[in-house]
Amino acid sequence: MKTTFGALSLIFILGVLLVVANPNYGLKFGLGEGNWEEYRYTDQYYIEHGVEEVGGTNIVTDIVFDYRGYDTLGEATVLFTSIAGAVALLRKWRGEE
Amino acid sequence: MIAFQFVTAFLMIFMGLYAFLYKRNLIKLILALNLVDAGIHLLLISLGYRLENGLLPTAPIYTGYETLKGTPMVGPIPQALVLTSIVIGVCVLSLAMALTVNAYQQYETLDVSKLRRLRG
Amino acid sequence: MRPQNSDMGLIVKTMARATIPLIGIFGAYVIVHGHITPGGGFQGGATIAGAGVLFLVAFGLSEAKEKINKNFYSVLEGIGGLVFLTAGMLGLGVVFFYNVLWHKGPVFNGEAGTLLSAGYLPIMNLAVGLKVYTGLVSALFAIALFRRWKK
Repeated sequence: MKTTFGALSLIFILGVLLVVANPNYGLKFGLGEGNWEEYRYTDQYYIEHGVEEVGGTNIVTDIVFDYRGYDTLGEATVLFTSIAGAVALLRKWRGEE
Repeated sequence: MIAFQFVTAFLMIFMGLYAFLYKRNLIKLILALNLVDAGIHLLLISLGYRLENGLLPTAPIYTGYETLKGTPMVGPIPQALVLTSIVIGVCVLSLAMALTVNAYQQYETLDVSKLRRLRG
Repeated sequence: MRPQNSDMGLIVKTMARATIPLIGIFGAYVIVHGHITPGGGFQGGATIAGAGVLFLVAFGLSEAKEKINKNFYSVLEGIGGLVFLTAGMLGLGVVFFYNVLWHKGPVFNGEAGTLLSAGYLPIMNLAVGLKVYTGLVSALFAIALFRRWKK
């Protein structure tokens, strides 16, 4: 009974979120209000100026390695740390030979 | 933004949330974590889709075959950030699997409700 | 417990021998052409790590331990991260992550769309590909080498 009620409430929340979070006819908030797609000029800037400013014709690589380079640096740090943690957790511990 | 991808992304997120609430197995919890992750990625990617003056968009890559000048491209920023997020997801998966293997070796069970006792 | 010599049968081994070089070549292509075609460092590195997974699954742990040195791979992962950081520091006279090789560099400043262009992007693609490949393979080996089960 409790499980059924919980699942039904999850489905209800899913339905409400599907309507509310839809940018076409849901809640309007923030800068864009109704015409939120006009405020995505950053995408357009990268598409138009990416090739001459960075040089790669793959715009996604331009963004990953140049415009948002700090993100990639942090990602590399996270990758190194987590692999080091996994290897340290799984190797033989001291005194367990 | 496509309605089908929008609905599918929320369905995946809520399937993951259901597994979080009602499953007790650690492996299933890790799978649910990855399901929520994939749902969020799908949602962000589908938000990058756009349709300008009736033309279908292409991938944001200049391959030298763009004869039509006004062809729109999908937004590259969500793709780049989702690429970062996928790497973080793989990191979280590997660390969670290492912790799960250690927990199974210590407690000899994968049930979350039996992992309470402290054992040396 | 599990048998020590846990490799697959003849069919899987033959198919793995045939497909592992092809997967490796495709991953290297994806990494090297990361700045002009779809793909990049992470995708190509994950593809080559798939070849490593196939090697481990098909030939078993005992033969994979002879071919792949885990400590060497850990060192390579650190080297990949350092190369990435160094490539970001190349344009430190202007600002961090300034693409100095593309604007006024001696190499990698060809016409956009060719292989030797785009400044430090190919270097960073190689570094990230190396880092992801070696990181995933060493994490996989750490899980496969886990030998602390209670009898």
